[in-house]
Amino acid sequence: MDQKFLDLIKEALEIEDREPQMEDAFKEYNEWDSLSQLTLIAELDDQFGVTVTSDELKGIITLQELLDQVKKAQG
Amino acid sequence: MHQTSPFSLTGKTILITGASSGIGRACAVACAKQGARVLALGRDRERLQETLDLCGSDQVHGALSLDLGDGEAIGEVLIFLKEHAPIHGFVHAAGVSPTIPFKVMKPKQWEEAFQLNVFSAVQIMQLLTKVGIKSADGMSMVLISSVMSEVGEKGKSLYAMTKSALIGLVKSLALEYADKQIRFNAISPSVVNSPLSEKSLYRNNEAALQQVLDQHPLGLGEGSDVAHAAVYLLSNASRWVTGTNMVVDGGYLAR
Repeated sequence: MDQKFLDLIKEALEIEDREPQMEDAFKEYNEWDSLSQLTLIAELDDQFGVTVTSDELKGIITLQELLDQVKKAQG
Repeated sequence: MHQTSPFSLTGKTILITGASSGIGRACAVACAKQGARVLALGRDRERLQETLDLCGSDQVHGALSLDLGDGEAIGEVLIFLKEHAPIHGFVHAAGVSPTIPFKVMKPKQWEEAFQLNVFSAVQIMQLLTKVGIKSADGMSMVLISSVMSEVGEKGKSLYAMTKSALIGLVKSLALEYADKQIRFNAISPSVVNSPLSEKSLYRNNEAALQQVLDQHPLGLGEGSDVAHAAVYLLSNASRWVTGTNMVVDGGYLAR
């Protein structure tokens, strides 16, 4: 699941020149903006069946924290 | 002898969609102020009544609450129109303004947006042009488009598609119905203060909001700024105007 998640991050944020790491503070990526945020929320819903709201995203710093949130939402 | 202003809507019955808030409500109030009888369509029954209250009691206005996002709802509109015919004008202000990144746009989303923003207007205008519903003196149809029919914005491709469709629609219909004295025009507003724009992404981002403000030399608009343009297009003052797109944008497109 971890690799699928990282692939989703690459795809959603259109990262082409590096591999995202779990400890990355993804909102500091150059690719991060209001539109990529919407894309990420839609892709998480599509591929993992979970709804992560923009309010929930506000409190999340690293990709690991985001993945933990996804797993928690999946139950 | 008293001469009626060509901008007056006295004696006219005007159907307005999206009348429970925003530009639609402003159009309803402005039309009533110019003497029109207003037929208000909207989703929310209570807010529609608020619109009618704002329209005043000089005329017996009418309201129908229904969801135009449901294509099947058009049967109710026909019954409503037959009760209130003849109709002299129409304003289509109902609409959604989705912000969806292109890569995750879904058929369900574009079907919903096109149904409300475009196809509901098409369905209603098909009814309005029927004998027995349209006014024998002609009609004026006004479709609320957007400056995004002319310029783009990230995340607004679906919205822009629907609003561009309205511009194409009025041009062909203007030609198709000119001999019946039915005029079709669009209005393209930029950002006005409304419930729809309150939901925009930039409202949560101070820098983005400032950028939007900077793009409007005359500042953000109000619903009434658009409504006054609609009143002109509905009135006899615009009798020689059809197939146009009137930009009402605080200078947004000037640069």
